[in-house]
Amino acid sequence: MKPALSIVFFTVASGAGLGLLALLALADLCPVPLLSPAALIRGLPLALLLIAAGLASSVLHLAKPSNAWRAFARFRTSWLSREAVLAALLFPLTFAYLAAVALDTAGMARALLSIVVCLLSWSVLFCTAMIYASLKPIRQWRTGWTPAAYLLLGHWSGALIAIAVAVGYGGEPVSWAWLAAGLGVAALLVKLGYWHHGAADRGGKSALTLEQAIGVPQGVRPPGVSVAQARLFDAGHTQRTFLTDEFVFRIARQHAQALRGAALALGFGIPLIWLATGPRHWAAAASVAVLAIVGLLAERWLFFSDARHTVRLYHGDART
Amino acid sequence: MKLGLLIDLDTCVGCHACATACKEWNGSSSVSGPLSDYEPFGADPSGVWLNRVRHYEVGDYPASKTINFPMSCLHCEDADCVSVCPTGASYKRADGIVLVDQEKCMGCNLCAWACPYGARELDQATGTMKKCTLCVDRIYDVLLPPEDRQPACVLACPTHARMFGDFDDPHSEVSRVSADRGGFGLLPELGYAPVNRYLPPREPKPLPGVDDARALLERGLASLASPVIRR
Repeated sequence: MKPALSIVFFTVASGAGLGLLALLALADLCPVPLLSPAALIRGLPLALLLIAAGLASSVLHLAKPSNAWRAFARFRTSWLSREAVLAALLFPLTFAYLAAVALDTAGMARALLSIVVCLLSWSVLFCTAMIYASLKPIRQWRTGWTPAAYLLLGHWSGALIAIAVAVGYGGEPVSWAWLAAGLGVAALLVKLGYWHHGAADRGGKSALTLEQAIGVPQGVRPPGVSVAQARLFDAGHTQRTFLTDEFVFRIARQHAQALRGAALALGFGIPLIWLATGPRHWAAAASVAVLAIVGLLAERWLFFSDARHTVRLYHGDART
Repeated sequence: MKLGLLIDLDTCVGCHACATACKEWNGSSSVSGPLSDYEPFGADPSGVWLNRVRHYEVGDYPASKTINFPMSCLHCEDADCVSVCPTGASYKRADGIVLVDQEKCMGCNLCAWACPYGARELDQATGTMKKCTLCVDRIYDVLLPPEDRQPACVLACPTHARMFGDFDDPHSEVSRVSADRGGFGLLPELGYAPVNRYLPPREPKPLPGVDDARALLERGLASLASPVIRR
């Protein structure tokens, strides 16, 4: 799949914002004060800003953005529509929650709002992941690893931002660091699991072949031959097409390995090592959060470039 | 109703007449048109096509065969392109035709991602998704003579490798021919239940007299050769 920059940025930025929002709402529910009111009141708009920036970027991906408002129409069947509806709900409810925090109200209403905001953040993250995990033609995505990775990576990057907020405006940075470390290790393990699943699946028995795609088992073969290999002879067009642009995207192996190294080092290695040294300066915390997000951009780029759409079989790939 | 196409891989000669006839009709159709071209006279021309013909070689020489393989929307019964569409622009009609409402489409590409057959192409000029309409503006047009109420690709095919009809009706021509010749749908593994059917190449029948002729010829050659050897 061709990685669209707008979608790569959208999933990473909104993911971090949603993870941050869910963690802030949970921290507010926690009987131990993990964040000062000043930190919470700055963290919530920051989370909304990240989510809004991501959503704005996702609209840029549309070929006809003037029809974007119609995306609310098919909540019953479409994960993209569900994502749009829930994200649209998230904003007014988070503003209401922010008002409750700013007015320093205590009690049921604020607790209820924080629970609703947390659940909505999780739902939007899950919907984003399911847009990809529900696509049958892309086998690498169609696994439980996809939503698990989206949820954990969002919370991991969100927790790193939360540390910066906690160090800068008051809170319990050490507790946050422990939480972040746990999320980071879990996210790393899930991402490694996703990559392992993708690599194992590629040579697996259930991978589809070019022969299956054009019906060789159903009789599309030379007379008297029971098993035959097929290969593309001519794609029928001399230049690129929408299909080759969108689906027959190839990334050089060394580039993929460099990106994987960057994703592991920036996205996980450096932040985890920094966490072990103990967070002290907000500027350092913010830089690490930015570094991790850059690493996750590389990870998300690979998420798309590694995915192999079934239509590639018709363009000559031997298997998916 | 399950309207669809039956494509004969035995007689298809891969001439691309179906694809060009499709481009011609649908490019000026109010349902799907325009089908934009980008740099049509430039160095790197490209554009939207609703029907593409690819060519494959199956088996190894000498037991190999060239298969010409036209592909357009298969009008799946269980069409994921319809269910993933967030705007409702993508829909399936009661007669089985899958269409895109050009007024509603926002060009998010998700339906193209959900289609394993590459049947949908985004038109960069209009910003909307384009796909085979089964020439819905021909097949119901009562102003056309009845024999012309068929998709443009079917009418254009010089070898009659394409047939159009209702696969829901077991007595329709497409249903009967498909049943007789082992018509199959593409990638049943994915569960989309495509309506269009493909006919595999026929097993060649032994040609009457050819084998006898060969035996006669060999005997004749032997008798011609023998006097030479004797001399």
